[in-house]
Amino acid sequence: METSRLEFRGVSKRFGPVQALNNVSFSTAPGKVHGLLGENGAGKSTLLKCLSGVYVPDDGAIFVDGSALSLAGPLSARNAGIAMIHQELQHVPDMSVAQNLFLGRPITKFGGIFTDRKAQEQAAADVLHGLDPTIDPGQRIADLRVAQRQLVEIARALIEDAKVVAMDEPTSSLTPAEFEKLVLLIERLAATGVSVIYVSHRMDEIFRLCDSSTILRDGSLVDTVEMNSITRDDIVQKMVGRTLMQAEHQSFATDEPIIRVEGLARQPVVRPCSFAVHKGEVLGIAGLVGSGRTELLRLIAGVDAPTAGQVKVNGRSVPPHDVGASIRSGIGLLPEERKRDGIIPMRSIASNVALPSLPKFSRGGIVHDRRVRGSAETYMREMDLRPFDVNRPIVAFSGGNQQKAIIGRWLAAGAEVLLFDEPTRGVDVGAKAEIYSLIERLASEGKAIIVVSSELPELFRVADRVLVMREGEISAELPRNEMTEEAIARAAIPGTDTAARGVA
Amino acid sequence: MKSKLVFVAGFRDAGVLIGLIIIFGTFAILSPTFLTGPNLLNILQQSSINACIALGMTLVIVSAGIDLSVGPTAALSAVVSASLLVAGVPIPLAILAALGIGVGAGLFNGVLIAYAGLQPFIVTLGGLSLYRALALIYTGGNPIFGLPSEFRAIFNGSLLGVPSSVVLVGTLAVLAWILLNRSVFGEYILAVGGNREAAHVAGVPVKRTILGVYMISGAMASTAALILTGRLGAAEPTMGTLWELDAIAAAAIGGASLMGGRGSIVGTIMGAIILGGLRNGLTLMNVQAFYQLLATGIIIIIAMLIDRLAKRNG
Repeated sequence: METSRLEFRGVSKRFGPVQALNNVSFSTAPGKVHGLLGENGAGKSTLLKCLSGVYVPDDGAIFVDGSALSLAGPLSARNAGIAMIHQELQHVPDMSVAQNLFLGRPITKFGGIFTDRKAQEQAAADVLHGLDPTIDPGQRIADLRVAQRQLVEIARALIEDAKVVAMDEPTSSLTPAEFEKLVLLIERLAATGVSVIYVSHRMDEIFRLCDSSTILRDGSLVDTVEMNSITRDDIVQKMVGRTLMQAEHQSFATDEPIIRVEGLARQPVVRPCSFAVHKGEVLGIAGLVGSGRTELLRLIAGVDAPTAGQVKVNGRSVPPHDVGASIRSGIGLLPEERKRDGIIPMRSIASNVALPSLPKFSRGGIVHDRRVRGSAETYMREMDLRPFDVNRPIVAFSGGNQQKAIIGRWLAAGAEVLLFDEPTRGVDVGAKAEIYSLIERLASEGKAIIVVSSELPELFRVADRVLVMREGEISAELPRNEMTEEAIARAAIPGTDTAARGVA
Repeated sequence: MKSKLVFVAGFRDAGVLIGLIIIFGTFAILSPTFLTGPNLLNILQQSSINACIALGMTLVIVSAGIDLSVGPTAALSAVVSASLLVAGVPIPLAILAALGIGVGAGLFNGVLIAYAGLQPFIVTLGGLSLYRALALIYTGGNPIFGLPSEFRAIFNGSLLGVPSSVVLVGTLAVLAWILLNRSVFGEYILAVGGNREAAHVAGVPVKRTILGVYMISGAMASTAALILTGRLGAAEPTMGTLWELDAIAAAAIGGASLMGGRGSIVGTIMGAIILGGLRNGLTLMNVQAFYQLLATGIIIIIAMLIDRLAKRNG
């Protein structure tokens, strides 16, 4: 066997009573892409943090090109040739692309007193040119799209001449087209001899990209497998430790409209959109990131002010840009960025569930604590909150359980229309299936549901009908029997149906 | 209910209580008069003004804001109500005028912060100069004397041997506790301070909540002004210098996070008592005022360090 580029040897890490990593050993060769799989809490992040020098393992060691990594913090890991691309991109938003690229390792002049901005921007431009020539090194990071920010991270790995590049769910906010670009980039990185560690929940990507994978469960290594000799189901089973039922789509759609969106627009991001969602129907909205899907949901929920159009629920029009009025009309928004727009982190599950319904749960301005907890317990028990403790702060729960609490929030508020924006983002495989069956159950109870998703399998699983958005407009409406990846991609990507031979 | 209490505020409050006991225990050993009934009442009375301001400040801080204008707001309330009293206006009306000025100043701050979207620190820093200037201009820089003794009796009297200011602030503390921990408005303050965007999406009236918090803070400043005016029998336009910093210190020692979303009324009251007790004890021991300032600074920093360490291990 050839020498390994990166090797984990008996790595263990314990946090108080929790054994986060238990004697994990595997290795990967230069130029290979190695997947790291496991449910949330399986130990993937801890392992990556050991690799990047954030945590020091209690036991075991990590070797790069045969020499043990000195574990003196993130900078020494960087010096050893390890580059991390985080799931939540870590930049200083108000600094320029070039400044961010050289953060912590600046090019200096005058004996290290000043940073040499010009040299930095030149070096940045050289690297960025091969990735995305539209990124200007002098531009503020905050002005870039998420996919572009990711490229900046990759540029950093290139600049630092990394031997190992670890990517933690790099695609969680990318569109299929952007993913394709990333695939090319990763292949290019690997061709230069870099070892890539790739963490993702998306099985498609793992099979597409990885040569081999290591599967973790509860901090222990379950198996290291070659991707060409294993099936998807086997992997899921190894991850979860049980067989997951592959559920079929079920439809509960009626022809009784509950919500009508009439010419709703917020120029220039959302151009006039009209459609209706019926009782028991799950309407999917597909489209590229930036096509206006999230913005459309925010308009429907009254969070932002529309420039034109209106929303009607059960025939009554809802005052625009008034969240309270939208909630009273029965609309509830489950935001994409749960941490930013969804949860009140330090408050309990019960408080988070009750928040929009407080007037209902109070008398004379004083909250009826028992009723708040009672209602939270009822809804959260139905949804199988784990662990079942509605008094715990919501930050202490996993992404899937937080999402359940936000669903519970709108059920408690009596919502009839639920707007899900990327409902399973940051949620692990097991909990995903749960969220899907929850959406189905809500539909069966007669709710009207909109699901915005960048994951096509997700839409195929839950949606009765799909709208495709492109540049702020609805470019196609596809009933279930016409929902194909190709049809959606054609409607989603600008210029494909007008240009005679578009590049998909 | 009990488990929720313990989780949300309990451990932190217990920590402040231990700090309070240690400091009071030390003084009890060093000074025989410290731990006597009259002196304890004295400490409570001396702490009452800071505690009053700090109650409002806690709500502001929990909402992820700050109110630097409380001292000058108090001064303006004091001089206006004092001049009304001297001119023979009935006492209840003068009190209402004082409270009205506090609420008005809070409204002004709150509108700029909630509706114009300015940063609380800057708005209330502006208010700090503005309200002080108004108080100085209004009085020409001179104190106002000769307040009716009935007025003084209200705020400087006693009820069953307890100074009326202690009774008043104690009552306000109970109300503030109910407001923050049991009322819809309190839940909104915690939500807005914890995650403003999420609160907005969940239908919380974010702007009205912020407005309300600053109005309460202004009213608390006016109340503190009435207490001090009653005690001194005079109103000075320079009243309340550095009150905002004492109030922030009490709230922070008590566990309020300047990032918002977290704070405890019980903790704040204990924080004010710690600061008051410290000054009282050091005075009893004839320690120079300079060292009292030093001790205050050390206590604040130690409290924050303990907080930090507790969180890292927790």
